[in-house]
Amino acid sequence: MARQRVVELTLLLLAAFITVVTVAIAAVDERVALSWRVAPYLFGLMVLWAVTHLALRRWASSSNGLLFPITALLQGLGFAFIVRIDPELADNHFAWSLAATCSFLLALRGLRDLSWLREVRPYVGIAGALLLLVPGAIATGPVRLDSSSTIDLGLISIAPQQLGNLFLITFFAAWLSRYRSRNTAEHLGQVQRLDGDPSRFLPLVGGWLLTSVIIIFHSDMSSAFVTFIIFVSMWWIAAGRIRDLAAFLTAIAGSVAVAASSIAETKSIFAAWIDPWANPELGDASIRSSFALAGGGLTGTGPGGGSADWMSGATDLFAFVPLAEELGFIGGAAILLSYLLLVGVGLRLAIAARTEFDTILATGIAIFFAGQAWASIAAVVRFLPPMGLSLPFVALNGSLLVTCNIALALLLKISEAAPNVSERTQLLPQIALEPQGDQ
Amino acid sequence: MTRRIAHVGVVFLVLYGLLFFRLEIIQVLNADTLQSHPQNTREITLVFDEPRGFIRTADGEIIAQTVAVSGRQGRLRQYPYGPLYSHVAGFISAENGGSGLERTQNQFLGGEDLGVRLQDNRDLFIDRSRTGQLELSIRHDIQLITRAAMAGQVGAAVVLNPTTGSVLGLWSAPQFDPNHLSSHDLIAVTSDYQALSSDPNQPLLNRAEFQSYDIGSLFTIVTAAAAIEEDLRDFVVPPIERVTSIEGSHAIVHDGGPCGGDLQSLLLADCSPGWATIGTTIGRGKLNDVSQRLGITGTSPVRLEGSPKGALQTGSLNSSASYAAVGEGLKVTPLQVAHLFATIANGGSRMQPHAVSRVLSYDNKVLEEFAPNALRQSLSKETAAELRQLLADNVASGTAQSLSINGTSVGGMVATKLSDKHGWAVTIAPVTLPELVVAVLLEDDSFNDQQIDEANVAAVARRITEAVLRLPSFKVGGS
Repeated sequence: MARQRVVELTLLLLAAFITVVTVAIAAVDERVALSWRVAPYLFGLMVLWAVTHLALRRWASSSNGLLFPITALLQGLGFAFIVRIDPELADNHFAWSLAATCSFLLALRGLRDLSWLREVRPYVGIAGALLLLVPGAIATGPVRLDSSSTIDLGLISIAPQQLGNLFLITFFAAWLSRYRSRNTAEHLGQVQRLDGDPSRFLPLVGGWLLTSVIIIFHSDMSSAFVTFIIFVSMWWIAAGRIRDLAAFLTAIAGSVAVAASSIAETKSIFAAWIDPWANPELGDASIRSSFALAGGGLTGTGPGGGSADWMSGATDLFAFVPLAEELGFIGGAAILLSYLLLVGVGLRLAIAARTEFDTILATGIAIFFAGQAWASIAAVVRFLPPMGLSLPFVALNGSLLVTCNIALALLLKISEAAPNVSERTQLLPQIALEPQGDQ
Repeated sequence: MTRRIAHVGVVFLVLYGLLFFRLEIIQVLNADTLQSHPQNTREITLVFDEPRGFIRTADGEIIAQTVAVSGRQGRLRQYPYGPLYSHVAGFISAENGGSGLERTQNQFLGGEDLGVRLQDNRDLFIDRSRTGQLELSIRHDIQLITRAAMAGQVGAAVVLNPTTGSVLGLWSAPQFDPNHLSSHDLIAVTSDYQALSSDPNQPLLNRAEFQSYDIGSLFTIVTAAAAIEEDLRDFVVPPIERVTSIEGSHAIVHDGGPCGGDLQSLLLADCSPGWATIGTTIGRGKLNDVSQRLGITGTSPVRLEGSPKGALQTGSLNSSASYAAVGEGLKVTPLQVAHLFATIANGGSRMQPHAVSRVLSYDNKVLEEFAPNALRQSLSKETAAELRQLLADNVASGTAQSLSINGTSVGGMVATKLSDKHGWAVTIAPVTLPELVVAVLLEDDSFNDQQIDEANVAAVARRITEAVLRLPSFKVGGS
């Protein structure tokens, strides 16, 4: 029964070991002002992991055992680098980790049955759209690439766009699964009728409108990209058609082209992307990132040996740079693999999920992690225009950490509900002998 | 649905694969290019408050050193002579990187170079902070002379030893005080740095090494070299006042009426239409060949040993042979001009200019010695000798008479570019057995009369040459 939990505990211990070693190596470097003062915070983080693990043992004992250790490792590495760059940020990081763990436990315990989410989908959808659109309209600062658009509440500042994305994922999942059960060709065998049915364009138009509003009116390419990639993936697995996909991509490209040619902010961002040397104020961060990455080389400078003080935004938007600089290309590739593993496990869970709603939701959440991480790193290595995206679980972006933990709880709930295919096929005698969990 | 999910998985696999390769390009394949990029200040910023060796001149004056101070950092970089060496030593700053030798010789000063780090077998096992000390070929007394001669003027002066390529003095004005940029008061540093970098006079720019100016009629010495190689010594240009090229927009005119004659009379009279005629006779290909051999055009312009090669500003000859022959539109740095005349002075052999002569260990052992580095034999000894004779005649009875010094035979040239408001003066002294090449460039918005302005620029070059030759300790050629 607790087999997944044994896997989880083993991997968690490994993640804790890597975190402690990274902090210790960084503390040895004479340039790093790391003191024993951060030790309690490190210990606190481990306690939070232990609490999460115990909660999973109690409330979701047969859920997947790989997901949580991967995210814990990323969070631990993030902690190691954040305190190494600025030990003063330790309490900030811990406060957000605490909030994230609490939200995780709440989501895990509070959402006993995921199908409840389907019933409240209109509210979830509206809340998601509001969370996604309102902050961009309120935040009216100059374009800065070393901070995301946030709402400042004095002591803390929150960026609710990602939570909005998570709400929308839930809404899309509910909407698409309902749409499928009513309408899909697979289900009804009425291809003819469906092709003439205009309702299949509804999600496309909705998705296009939402993305375009974010691109054009908020000139926030980053959240637009995440929303876009999540929407396309979910729609593709639920109801995608190649011709519709082409039309949708063309429409989105059109919106981007409009923004890139007529909106000053977007224009300057694109200019800085194409030639950062000629646009030092926006391009400086990406120039410095590539210098720092090049300085790291294949094996890296070792934790504490990098140039994070010389970079701006090294704890948040450019969090990947100090990691890949100090752990080298090998370390950077390992981070990439961690995210790839996360999306791989997520998609496998989607395939094994019990209901179509679960499948689509799991896909959305997996793509949420992987898309956000991919775009964040891609912007740092100048693969995409520079845009404000934080690295999930790693960056010191509290709102994102909370959102990701809620999403993780949902994913674990889905895996908990799924019949465990591999055990059933491989270990038939065991099935006969021991009952599966408490479902 | 499972197949659709697999599609999504494959797409993300490909996306992450692309990221993987992009990361490999930056961190592994292109790492060296990025590391040596001229705008890359990462390395030097990292070592800002590390132990760091001193820099001293050939005659023993310390021009940059790290001293112990109280406070969190504990160490401070100081430049005892302030602005005097701002473009030689450069600066090192916590946030703005660095420049000059502080930047280019960082691997020795900061002890990153393995030879500096491991001075003893035992050092393999003990990680002591080792630094290298730089000894320059630049001399404090010569540097003071250039500052005095250039007083108040915007421009650059380079003093070279033609036989070794050593830089003896390097001045660029306006200058700045590097102490202000290396301070620990980061707010003051930021405002100072911003003021300096937004100053229209560009005090942070080392004009001698990195700023290119129109070469003007100095280029005719290269045309003369080409003409001698083509055996046109006795070619006589009939008197001519102006040359109008077919594709050119303006004529090449000589102000004092028609001029002509052989090479010598052309040079002595600064007869640009005559040179243009010679240029058409020789052809652009030959001119280009000679100027590439001399390092005036081509892919890699002359820099000091170890200077960043990126962001190259390479000059190229005018597409018309007659314009090319008078140097129309060709831009060069003062260091390149000094290097050109040093090559002529050194019998046609190009010596790589360098400012650092030795790297010393903490206990003054020599870790690395930079021997004179001959790049190539650009001209034959005979051609170089003939050119020196032309330059000597030019000072004796030509347009550069204001360069002449009592008791020493000097060769040289003077040129102004009134349209660009700058002027050149170059001397080779003594011209019979050259020990010294001085190149001076002045920028002055009030330039409007060729003769007066040429005399002004020449006066600066002459003062430097004269004072350096009279230094009691000056002996470079023989030793």
